[in-house]
Amino acid sequence: MTATVSTKTPTPPSPSRRLRSLSRPQLPTRAVAGRSLMYAILTVLAIIYIAPFLVQVATSFKTDVEAASNPISLIPQTWSTAAYEKLFLNSDFPVWFKNSAIVTIFVTLGRVFFNSLAGYALARLQFRGRTVIFAGLIAVMSVPGVVLLIPKFLVINQIGIYDTYVGMIVPLLTDAAGVFIMKNFFESIPASVEEQARIDGAGTFRVFWSIVLPMARPALITIVILSFQGSWNELSHFIVATQSPELTTLTKGVASLASGELSQGTQYPLKLAAAAIMTIPVAVMFFIFQKRIMNTTDGAVKE
Amino acid sequence: MSKPARTSRRSGIRGGEAASGWLFTAPMIILLGMFLVIPVLMALWVSFSDWGGRGSPFGGNVKFVGFDNYSTLLSGGGLAEQDFGTALRNNAWYVVLVVPIQTALSLLLAVLVNRQILRGRGFFRTSFYFPSVTSSVAITVLWLFLFSSTGAVNKLLSFIGITGPNWFNDPSGILHNFLQLFGVTQGPAALTDGSFLGVSWWDWLAGPSVAMTAFILMAVFTTSGTFMLLFIAALQNLSGEVTEAAMMDGANGWQRFWKVTLPQLRPTLFTVLTLGLIGSWQVFDQIYTGTKGAPGKTTLTPAFLSYQSAFNNQEWGQGAAIAFILFVIIVFFTLFQRWVLRERSVSNRRMRPYLSVANGATANVVAASALTGAGSGSPGTDSPGSGSDPDSHAPDTTGGTR
Amino acid sequence: MQRRTSRWMIGAGLTMAGALALTGCSSSFGGTTSGSTGSAGDLTSDSSKTLTVLIGSSGDAETKAVNAAVASWSSSSGTKATVSVASDLNQQLAQGFAAKKPADVFYLSTDALAGYASNGSLLAYGDSLANKDDFYPSLVKSFTYDGQFYCAPKDFSTLGLVINTDAWAKAGLTDADIPTTWDQLETVAKKLTTPDQVGLAIGGEYARAGAFMAQAGGNLMNEDSSKATANSAEAVAGLTEVKKLLNDGVLKYAKDVGAGWGGEAFGKQLSAMTIEGNWITGAMSSDYPSVKYTIAELPAGPAGKGTMQFTNCWGIATDSPNQAAALKLVEQLTSKDSQLAFSTAFGPMPSIKSAASDWKAANPVLVPFLNGADYAVGTPTAKGAADVVTELNSKLESLKTGDPQQILDAAQKNLEALLK
Repeated sequence: MTATVSTKTPTPPSPSRRLRSLSRPQLPTRAVAGRSLMYAILTVLAIIYIAPFLVQVATSFKTDVEAASNPISLIPQTWSTAAYEKLFLNSDFPVWFKNSAIVTIFVTLGRVFFNSLAGYALARLQFRGRTVIFAGLIAVMSVPGVVLLIPKFLVINQIGIYDTYVGMIVPLLTDAAGVFIMKNFFESIPASVEEQARIDGAGTFRVFWSIVLPMARPALITIVILSFQGSWNELSHFIVATQSPELTTLTKGVASLASGELSQGTQYPLKLAAAAIMTIPVAVMFFIFQKRIMNTTDGAVKE
Repeated sequence: MSKPARTSRRSGIRGGEAASGWLFTAPMIILLGMFLVIPVLMALWVSFSDWGGRGSPFGGNVKFVGFDNYSTLLSGGGLAEQDFGTALRNNAWYVVLVVPIQTALSLLLAVLVNRQILRGRGFFRTSFYFPSVTSSVAITVLWLFLFSSTGAVNKLLSFIGITGPNWFNDPSGILHNFLQLFGVTQGPAALTDGSFLGVSWWDWLAGPSVAMTAFILMAVFTTSGTFMLLFIAALQNLSGEVTEAAMMDGANGWQRFWKVTLPQLRPTLFTVLTLGLIGSWQVFDQIYTGTKGAPGKTTLTPAFLSYQSAFNNQEWGQGAAIAFILFVIIVFFTLFQRWVLRERSVSNRRMRPYLSVANGATANVVAASALTGAGSGSPGTDSPGSGSDPDSHAPDTTGGTR
Repeated sequence: MQRRTSRWMIGAGLTMAGALALTGCSSSFGGTTSGSTGSAGDLTSDSSKTLTVLIGSSGDAETKAVNAAVASWSSSSGTKATVSVASDLNQQLAQGFAAKKPADVFYLSTDALAGYASNGSLLAYGDSLANKDDFYPSLVKSFTYDGQFYCAPKDFSTLGLVINTDAWAKAGLTDADIPTTWDQLETVAKKLTTPDQVGLAIGGEYARAGAFMAQAGGNLMNEDSSKATANSAEAVAGLTEVKKLLNDGVLKYAKDVGAGWGGEAFGKQLSAMTIEGNWITGAMSSDYPSVKYTIAELPAGPAGKGTMQFTNCWGIATDSPNQAAALKLVEQLTSKDSQLAFSTAFGPMPSIKSAASDWKAANPVLVPFLNGADYAVGTPTAKGAADVVTELNSKLESLKTGDPQQILDAAQKNLEALLK
């Protein structure tokens, strides 16, 4: 716990500011003007960043015609839940959602376990070949994802897990970056506790499972956030790993909605509703762990 | 790769460590080997073969064709070369605009939000970061609506008397459009006659198409939040003494920022630039969801072209070859970036205190680049990793080396 | 460092060996026997497996109609069959073929034919069809690759001239004025052009402008796509006519009047005429029910009448375990009854001659479309031609200021490269 929150607290600038305002009495008025300007800029920026999502939600409750004629208004003239009805009652959307959920859960659990296992070994265990493995890990991390599009399909196909849940989940079960994060974390916590346990005769796995892992909670949360978001938002892997409609995930399904192969006309309310719903789980995740994601600032800037 | 210090200190008491070491890392080795290393090798073979996409690429009638696929792309003179050239041009403009804009904007946001006196800091930070958590598919769907001919953006433009373009259906390059304002519709012969990769120099200079510009805005919108977090983390690790000294010298806010803050932020700046470069060379999700390369092939990117050649046109060899050329491009830029980083930090002794942070940042580049990679360059997938680790782990790494 | 490098090399070597081992065992189950490419002499007939039918559906109506037809065949033949709707047909086909687990029967577009035929994925069953001689010859040519008739045309569409009858009457035109030559087309288009309505709007692409090339006697490639003819004098003449109409201001591209396609420009009354296919009727009745219109055959050019046709076929996979049943299913799906039912449900025209009279009786307004079948030309089917067409389309956008000869020379060069 301690390690993650240990961001260096910068010297609070407040004293010096007070000092300065004392020495130059004319500053406050200018400061007030500057401050209002800053708030104005920030507010405009915030509106630009948030408005699209408000428009999205509002439009998903509009009729097709209104979506085209009145694209900005945040309150539909006639409320219509047609888009949501169509999505949930008359399309494969629930199947897509289910598939995304299944994959995300398994991938997240898998990554938490395998990444911490490997990260621990690389950080703490002494064995021949560790350097090689670590060098390999670094090399593997530098492979850009898009390069893997075709080859992943080739392998998945070759070993006969194409178009199965196994093919969707297993290749995502670990990621080099996650291992790297865990390794860094384990190196940062003191070894004394586990040393003691080892001297008491606990096996390596036992030490890892009941002593080290509980201490790694902050890093594990990072992995959970990363894996959840990564697998929920993953598109290209599912494009190349599946073809059946029963195995379509949200990303793939909504992408096909967007390119219009399933629908006639623009149908913006329907598409935006689908996109809005698929954003909800990551948004919830985001708000739950917001402190943790943003902790840089919150941890350091307690006034 | 700086861990030997610890090894010597504690050796001895355990015997079975080799076994558990291999056992613990085995799942990772198998998974990464199986779905990362072997695939790359297989694709390498396919890029040198004439495999047509039916059955196994190792079947008896698949032949080795040497560099044929590569030469078709790089000097074939046909449509394949032209498409590849077009895709490179489109993506190059994308990179040229996205990387600086997102870096500048995220730095601006970080500086604004980092003010101690600011009320509602949390609210602003959350708003700026939120677009980064959404998936690239969802955000593309939203963008298609906002930038449709009757969409919100054109509606807003109409309030100030501007007739907005039909964004995603407009293939004209924005630089060409700009020149048109001055009556230039045809390039000089020197530019239109010569060509590179099947695309005339004049067309290389077309700028991103209006459609691509919409994607550029989207990339800036979705990534600036992530990078803002990186900058905030860095800002809070800055040495307050230097800033204070500068204040005593009477430097104003602007001077302080340029002369004092920015130089100290250099390592993070490099991180952000590198991540931006890596990510923006891999545009795929947005194109797949949105335009599929249209209008007039001006949103075609190498990543999407690679996919399309293989899966839609049965040119698997060419598709794989495009992927590897893209790989080389990305590796080149990454190494170039690292080289620049290394050069500066070693030469400048005054940067010593920040060197450690830079090391942390480098590790982070690697981690986050892999993340962007795993998410195939979608702007939304890499966010919290790059956002949350620098603060939690960069200091730890430095602690280790001390 | 030295030591680490060598170790890394060993690691890489090991992985390499692993990859080789993988490829080694692959050949046992992945060994391609592509001798069977093409000839439908002896069909596989493993009836234990369910037939899968993969379609790219335009909407619920089409999905339902195909489902019903397949289900009725299934119950009468006793062979199980399921229909699935592809979200991205091309991609799913490609992955299915590469995985050796393709759908048995599927929609296949003309531009995808060459790619799959050349790598042996498609069964060339055309000559084994019982109703082979009933298909329109021009459609059969569209699905002939390398001299072999690969797959049964599913249905087709042609282009016609769609006229807004109110605008027509307002301009003082009568039925006798319906244009039958280019000159007449120019005349009426001029009369119909008002400040807020252009006479004729079309999509700025080969799939529309090509009709003018056909009327001048040209096309991008010859009938069986074995020779590029893009820069022939005839093709250039066709495109020159389009350019002329554009410059006269009586023809505009749909996009230039703010519409996505010709039908939208026409429906929103931004144009008085458009050139579209029979699918426009669906859009008109659902989106623009108040616009009254009539349909005429396209006017003749120097070489007589000409239009474009668009079609899909029912492909059968070489790797299908039950090709015999698949063939029977296709025969059923292309029968007169099925095709007429499809036509009622979602609008395309039957691909067989024997259904023509029934169809004309049922759709009197649409007769000009079916008449087009006699002189329609197809889009080029050579492998990679679709890319050339996309490229051509991007050039056609600036036809107004461009040079038809230059544009088609470039297309010619690209098409010739495909045939090498």
